[in-house]
Amino acid sequence: MRALARARHFLRALISRGRVERELADELALHLELETEKRLRDGGPPEEARRRAAIAFGGVESVKDEVRESWGIRFLETLGQDLKYGARSLRRNPGFTGVVALTLGLGIGANTAVFSVVRGVLLRPLPYARGQEVVALHQPAPESGIEDIGFSVKDVADYAALTPSLEDVVEYHSMTFTLLGGPEPQRVRTGVVSAAFFDVLGVAPMLGRTFRKGEDAMGAEALLVLSHSYWQQRLGGDPNVVGRRFEMNDRVHTVVGVLPPLPGYPDENDVYMPASACPFRTQPRILEDRRQRGYQAFARVKAGVPLERARADVATVVERLKSEYPDAYPQGLAPTATLVSVREEMVRSARPTLLVLLGTVALVLLIACANVANLTLARLSDRGREMGVRAALGAGRVRLLRQLLTESTLLAALGGVLGLAIAFLTRGALVQFAARFTPRADEVRVDGAVLAFSLLATVLTGLLVGSLPGLPAFEKLARALAGDGRTTAGRSRQRVRSVLAVSQLALSFMLLIGAALMLKSFANLQKVDPGFRPDRVLTMRIDLNWSKYVNPERRVDRQRVLQVFEPLWERVRGVPGVVTAATGLTFPLNSAFSNNGSFMIEGIHQADQALPRADYHAASAHYFETLGVPILRGRAFDEHDRDGAEQVAIVSQGLARRYWAGDPVGQRISGDRGQTWARIVGIAGDVRQTALAAEPPDIIYYSFGQFPGYASTLFVRSSGDPVALADRITAEIRGLDPQAAVTNVQTLETIRHDALASPRLTAFLLGLFAFVALAISAAGLAGVLAYTVSQRTREIGIRMALGAQPGSVLRMLMGQGLASVVIGLLIGLVGALGLSQLVSGLLFGVAPTDPWCFAGSAIVLVAVALVASFLPARRATGIDPILALRTE
Amino acid sequence: MPTAPNVDLLQGTLDLLVLRTLRTGPQHGWGIAQRIQQISEDVLRVNQGSLYPALHRLEHEGWIEAEWGSSDNNRRAKFYRLTRAGEKRLGEETASWERLSTAVARVLRMA
Repeated sequence: MRALARARHFLRALISRGRVERELADELALHLELETEKRLRDGGPPEEARRRAAIAFGGVESVKDEVRESWGIRFLETLGQDLKYGARSLRRNPGFTGVVALTLGLGIGANTAVFSVVRGVLLRPLPYARGQEVVALHQPAPESGIEDIGFSVKDVADYAALTPSLEDVVEYHSMTFTLLGGPEPQRVRTGVVSAAFFDVLGVAPMLGRTFRKGEDAMGAEALLVLSHSYWQQRLGGDPNVVGRRFEMNDRVHTVVGVLPPLPGYPDENDVYMPASACPFRTQPRILEDRRQRGYQAFARVKAGVPLERARADVATVVERLKSEYPDAYPQGLAPTATLVSVREEMVRSARPTLLVLLGTVALVLLIACANVANLTLARLSDRGREMGVRAALGAGRVRLLRQLLTESTLLAALGGVLGLAIAFLTRGALVQFAARFTPRADEVRVDGAVLAFSLLATVLTGLLVGSLPGLPAFEKLARALAGDGRTTAGRSRQRVRSVLAVSQLALSFMLLIGAALMLKSFANLQKVDPGFRPDRVLTMRIDLNWSKYVNPERRVDRQRVLQVFEPLWERVRGVPGVVTAATGLTFPLNSAFSNNGSFMIEGIHQADQALPRADYHAASAHYFETLGVPILRGRAFDEHDRDGAEQVAIVSQGLARRYWAGDPVGQRISGDRGQTWARIVGIAGDVRQTALAAEPPDIIYYSFGQFPGYASTLFVRSSGDPVALADRITAEIRGLDPQAAVTNVQTLETIRHDALASPRLTAFLLGLFAFVALAISAAGLAGVLAYTVSQRTREIGIRMALGAQPGSVLRMLMGQGLASVVIGLLIGLVGALGLSQLVSGLLFGVAPTDPWCFAGSAIVLVAVALVASFLPARRATGIDPILALRTE
Repeated sequence: MPTAPNVDLLQGTLDLLVLRTLRTGPQHGWGIAQRIQQISEDVLRVNQGSLYPALHRLEHEGWIEAEWGSSDNNRRAKFYRLTRAGEKRLGEETASWERLSTAVARVLRMA
């Protein structure tokens, strides 16, 4: 009731302001009138009565002011005044305003930009309906060191039937096919899925429809759902694409729908087809054999069921499958089963980098705030008089503090606008950066949440910056008004400024250490020997339209594949500038490629036991020579290692060392549990086939002449610029098979460069932020010392008049600077030791407490701080004692 | 003009006096001031500078209500009237004032 009355009162004062003011004037006028009349009645001249009444009443305006205070709208009016006044005062000091707005703008901009990525990648819900229920299933076999043995067609059906907490389980794998019907043969990455795949993911089509129940049954019509980007980029966003027919795998495929823009997950697929349309997935052995575990499984957890329970359920199912189908699990292969939310799968590798970046920019903003607070303090000493006058004219303490806060918030708002501009401008680069870690990078945008974050950062910055100097300012003010202005006034403010400078130094030290660790880690990565010589080698992916290269049993027709490649090598080697050419399965440093399988060594392993595993690759003659991979023992493959000759293999050095005490050359291994055997003819140097930071995998190379594939990579080593050869070589390939798709034309140098791109950018960003922080802190330290010098001019003058040498004055002041640095170093050291564990996941070959990085950062900080304190200290030595003593 | 002993009114005391004065019926600002002065036999002089802020504050709190009406010689005046909440408040304030003054008086007598 009373609250209502209050609100009505407040609103009335706010809205019908003119009337309320008039009424107040009337009310007071009446009072004065009545008072005058009363005095007239008491006798005396009317003039005198009026005068006395007016005196008794006091200042009408001040009474009005106090009354207005009770209306509760005062703060709005004074806010307007504060804003007007603040803006005027900032305009009068464009230098100060510019520096501060830029400092805060950098801080807020960096935070907004990084937050926009964090929001898009880590915080935004998945673009799937009830995305939190979507999970990926895995069957890891920890005892055999396998992360996921995969799922067979039967496995997926069993999990769907036997797991009560899962709504549905769907199958997925990705293959590359050649799509005909466009302007040129296109290699399309195809997601091969169960009909319910998109329902489980919770994706609705943008055009047409997705697959329907039963459309993945054997013999169903071949259909396609297009990804948004493929539809846009390759089909020009054709609105009538639904119903269009393309030829793939010798079958007509009809487009039934187009997906909305989605993260490239599970893979960056161009199109999707039902499992029944895949020519491999439909083979009887794939359908029947539980050991053909080439597929991934996704599921939707029933609404309200906790992930933990679903996880426990699938763990039970795998135990049941193992006991029911022991034949499907070779001795020693004991997979478990688990599930992970797909959100987690998508962002797992991005999270550590993003969080480190977010922490870094937060520290930078803190440093910027401390610095601006410092600047504001310095400016306050110039404004001491102004504040004093305003206080004398009746401005209350609170009012003055509010004025300061308003000004700093205005400054922060300027910084915020600048920051938003920075965030907008850097968005493209950041999205590219994030794309290296997560398929969700495309979801990064400056949206309401990012704007809100930026606003919040701005307001907090304004409050922080405004209240830090505000506190001592009033102590000073109180003393100044008490007539005790000079001697001790600066003391507490000076202390605050020193604390601010020290904390900037401490934070900068932490950032320096972070940057140093990243830089060293990057340098280590760059020094890593990839195992091949990347200079002057061109690579390109060649995908033959496989359906032309299979025999009726759907096996690769080796002769026909070689009929393309053997003349191709011949022709390419004949191109001027080409040194040598060869074919392999894929290019090195390709983290997306995986072709892992078990192998047995003759005389050591039995077919029914758990077997060791290795990556399988195929290599043609001249392969090792072209890539620059050394042959350590035995020989490389040559033209004679083709069909009909004895099967041969080359093993990587690591694998040879792990499984043979002596010389493996001449021994035999089998990749199919002893059905066929290959003789080892050589040992090749280790190659970082998946990533620079990953240990080289164990590799078994088969001869491409004996196991040619229709998807392969051509390598060409040249004597000059390899890129210049690309068109000529592509033309040679097209000449041999017009339907061959040639993609990923790049040099090995580029591949290596790209592999270093994300650590390079991370190191660059951290280094940049550390540099900015260091520069800001150095300026802060110099500012504090310069202030000390100006405060102590008289004292220094007296010292020098009494015979102090410039050197000792310099030492005294530099000592003060150095003391700040030492304290900053100690605090920063503690902080860095605490925080460095957080970056450990991003580091390669360097411990998070690497003493060299710590020492180097300390040296850099001390050196910069010495320079920063030398400049103002030297100015002090130039003080003329006579002039100094006169300053007052 | 006789000089009366000047007593500064404690913050809150004025509120109490205003509320009490209004219990006898609606009154405008000047009237309230006069009444307090008369009844206190010129001991309590209400400073106009604090009277009006106090009136507006009490109105804001909802303890009194204001209405424009005509004064004795037909002049437009703002009349204040005690509300139900104000009456309750007056009771509380009076009780607490009496407790305070008894206590002070006791200390003065006995200490």
